[in-house]
Amino acid sequence: MRTALILLLMIALASVAGSLLPQWPNTPERVMRYRADHPVWGTFLDRAGLFDVFGSWWFVLLTTLLFVSLVACLVPRTRALWRAVRTPPMQAREIDAFPRYAQVAVAADPDQAIDAARWVLRRRRFRVARDPSRPALAGEKGLAREIGSLGFHWALILLLTGVIYGKGTGFSGLIAVVEGQTWVDAEANYDGTIRAGRFFDGGFTGTGLRLREFRSDFQRTGQPMDFVSRVDLLDPDGSVIRREDIRVNHPARIEGLWIHQSSFGWAPVIEVTDGGEVAASGPVVMDRDPAPEGVVEFAMPWRGVVKLPGAGTDGLDRAIELELWPDSRALTALLAEQEPQAMLVEFDPIIRFSVWEGALTDLSTNRLDTTGLDEVSSGIVGAGRTADLADGAALAAGDAGSGATISFTELRQYSVFQVGRDAGVPLVLAAAILVLVGLLPALYSSRRKVWVRADPDGDGSLLRVGGLAMQRKPQFEEEFDRLVGALVSSAGGRRAPDPGAGGPGPDQREPEEHEKVQTP
Amino acid sequence: MTDLQWARISNDAFNVALFAYIAAMVGYFAHLAFKRDAIWQISRAVAVAGVVANIVSIVARGFAADRVPWGNMYEYSSLLALLVVIGALVVVEGVYKVRSLTGFALMFSVLTMAVAVSFLYVGPGPLVPALNSYWIKIHVQAAIWGSSLFALGGIATIAYLVVDRAERRKLDALGSKDRPPIMGGALDLDADADADAPADLVPDPAEDVETRPAKRRLVPSAAGLDRLAYRIIALAFPIWTFAVIAGAVWAQEAWGRYWGWDPKETWSFITWVIFAGYLHARATNGWKGRRAAFIALVGFASLLVTYYVVNLWIVGLHSYAK
Repeated sequence: MRTALILLLMIALASVAGSLLPQWPNTPERVMRYRADHPVWGTFLDRAGLFDVFGSWWFVLLTTLLFVSLVACLVPRTRALWRAVRTPPMQAREIDAFPRYAQVAVAADPDQAIDAARWVLRRRRFRVARDPSRPALAGEKGLAREIGSLGFHWALILLLTGVIYGKGTGFSGLIAVVEGQTWVDAEANYDGTIRAGRFFDGGFTGTGLRLREFRSDFQRTGQPMDFVSRVDLLDPDGSVIRREDIRVNHPARIEGLWIHQSSFGWAPVIEVTDGGEVAASGPVVMDRDPAPEGVVEFAMPWRGVVKLPGAGTDGLDRAIELELWPDSRALTALLAEQEPQAMLVEFDPIIRFSVWEGALTDLSTNRLDTTGLDEVSSGIVGAGRTADLADGAALAAGDAGSGATISFTELRQYSVFQVGRDAGVPLVLAAAILVLVGLLPALYSSRRKVWVRADPDGDGSLLRVGGLAMQRKPQFEEEFDRLVGALVSSAGGRRAPDPGAGGPGPDQREPEEHEKVQTP
Repeated sequence: MTDLQWARISNDAFNVALFAYIAAMVGYFAHLAFKRDAIWQISRAVAVAGVVANIVSIVARGFAADRVPWGNMYEYSSLLALLVVIGALVVVEGVYKVRSLTGFALMFSVLTMAVAVSFLYVGPGPLVPALNSYWIKIHVQAAIWGSSLFALGGIATIAYLVVDRAERRKLDALGSKDRPPIMGGALDLDADADADAPADLVPDPAEDVETRPAKRRLVPSAAGLDRLAYRIIALAFPIWTFAVIAGAVWAQEAWGRYWGWDPKETWSFITWVIFAGYLHARATNGWKGRRAAFIALVGFASLLVTYYVVNLWIVGLHSYAK
């Protein structure tokens, strides 16, 4: 037990470090900042795994050692408990040596007194064993303490098993779905890489999700009130299984997948034409600029890019950088008064765009690396309007301009979901409940034993009761006193002192017994 | 009544409760110093009045915000202060008949409320979406109850260490040979001494009632305080365990994972581990008494970190609970 406790303490200390230092899985940007601020020290900490404490090899080692030592401790205790449950309570030779002891002369004869005592103890839920050789019995109560304690500790092991199984075979990833679009569960359809467990079998369900509508509500103060993604959950064949509203705190579950609301953003539908033909068309998922200190994040514009390889002049690549202001009043306010203003609702959205030409290095990301590119034009286009890419001028409906145009057809929202699978959840939950259930008797129950012996004495018997409590000794004193009272009254009550016998008093121990101090 | 009126009632009642607690605290300390029963009765009445005002403040806050009144640190602190005082009055004074700790429990509540009103005050408002779940009723309630009992356990532990030190000094002064072994626990008379006491020291059940002291001492023995601290912590521990489990269930629902080593999760786990260590230490020979008490103190400190430091200074998913 001592080893397990020391290991537990070391895990707690490691956790302190893990909570004070930024961690890669939780706050990667803070780790990078820390490493930039402290180059040498940061590298050392990173090598030591202190930026990923809970995933480091030594944390895994500590946990493994803890559970090995726990099992090593639990197996013999469980065996001993098993034996204790199966064997009747042990008889005692010297009853008067126990911490609690009483002797009373009672009216019933020894066998009757013991039969009555057996009944009294049984009613108080003691396990009782009668001594075959003489009128005596042994009783025991409170095995629940050890059962609960062992249940608690085994449940901890079960819990860890559930965690390892669930994390090992599960995965988690992020998806961005634009209003009106359908997403299908397949590896390629996740944003970036998924976080998969070591034993993840690569199985994706093919079930789908169509985002019908996303809504966000804010208070006037800018505090968010509610985010809802109204979705259709789809079978692999495309038929709708059911409609659901996914909110924070209200995930959808389908085919073992958990789908959680994670974040949201804007996705303007853009159509680019070149020489009168459509070169690109569809929603552009945008990212919001990080807010500087003291500015609310909702005041920042959103950025996206349309990349058109080979679409520029002389076969150069072309990229159109987009800066969206979903509420154009915020841009006006910023330009006029230098005052950032939160954009909580859609209001005359506008896009500022700039056209770049040159050689694109990266076609996949949402970001534009402008090295090797030259800006050829820029302009502004409002929702439902079209602008000329050559000079940025607004075009009236039907005007083809230079032939290269950009249209901001409509503004939609996209919703980001966290999609994951963890088959260990039910096991972990069951283990957690078992932990709690085991804890209660382990803490509040106490193990105690009593022994009763009746020896012939005058025309009745001398009842001797010994008691021993492993825990909660003060409470046991009172329980023992009440028990003796019940034993005496069930054995015909106290017997009047026998005047002729000259023996000891009715309920006092014999004087010479004071000298006979025995220890068990 | 309008939300604004409710908010005003809540704030006024909060101030009344705070001043009642301060007055009651002074009274309880005066009772400790002068040992007059009348002072105790008055102080108790003032403390009860403070409890009533505190309850009014919390309920009015709930009406002002139209939601459960434990959605941010200010409200959580108010409820924590209330439960610590109620725990001191009902559990410590009522069940265990110990009056001497109530003043210190009141001091804890006064500090908690003073910090809340000075640094953590926010007006009543709706919950952020992440908190808007029925789990806030289960998880946060369990966390507050667990915390308030741990706080009481911490207070009893400090009292134990102080009294234990005084008892040791007294024994030293007497030059007694019966000094308890260092780190071997206080004069834990009924817990351990019984085991090897000769049988004839054990009173006969018939005599037991008469020989018991008729009046309890104002300040219990170190052994008594040690047991009291243990009982309160043993009561708090399963509640805290439940709070952590309920938090994990909520995390699975809100964030898609039941455990992610968020600073709050990490520190609630650290607190759990320390108190688990305390409970084990109590069951281990050689670790009873003062050594175990120091573990409980570390647990108490960890509880304060879990509440204040994690919410205010460490960035994590619970940062909105300011």
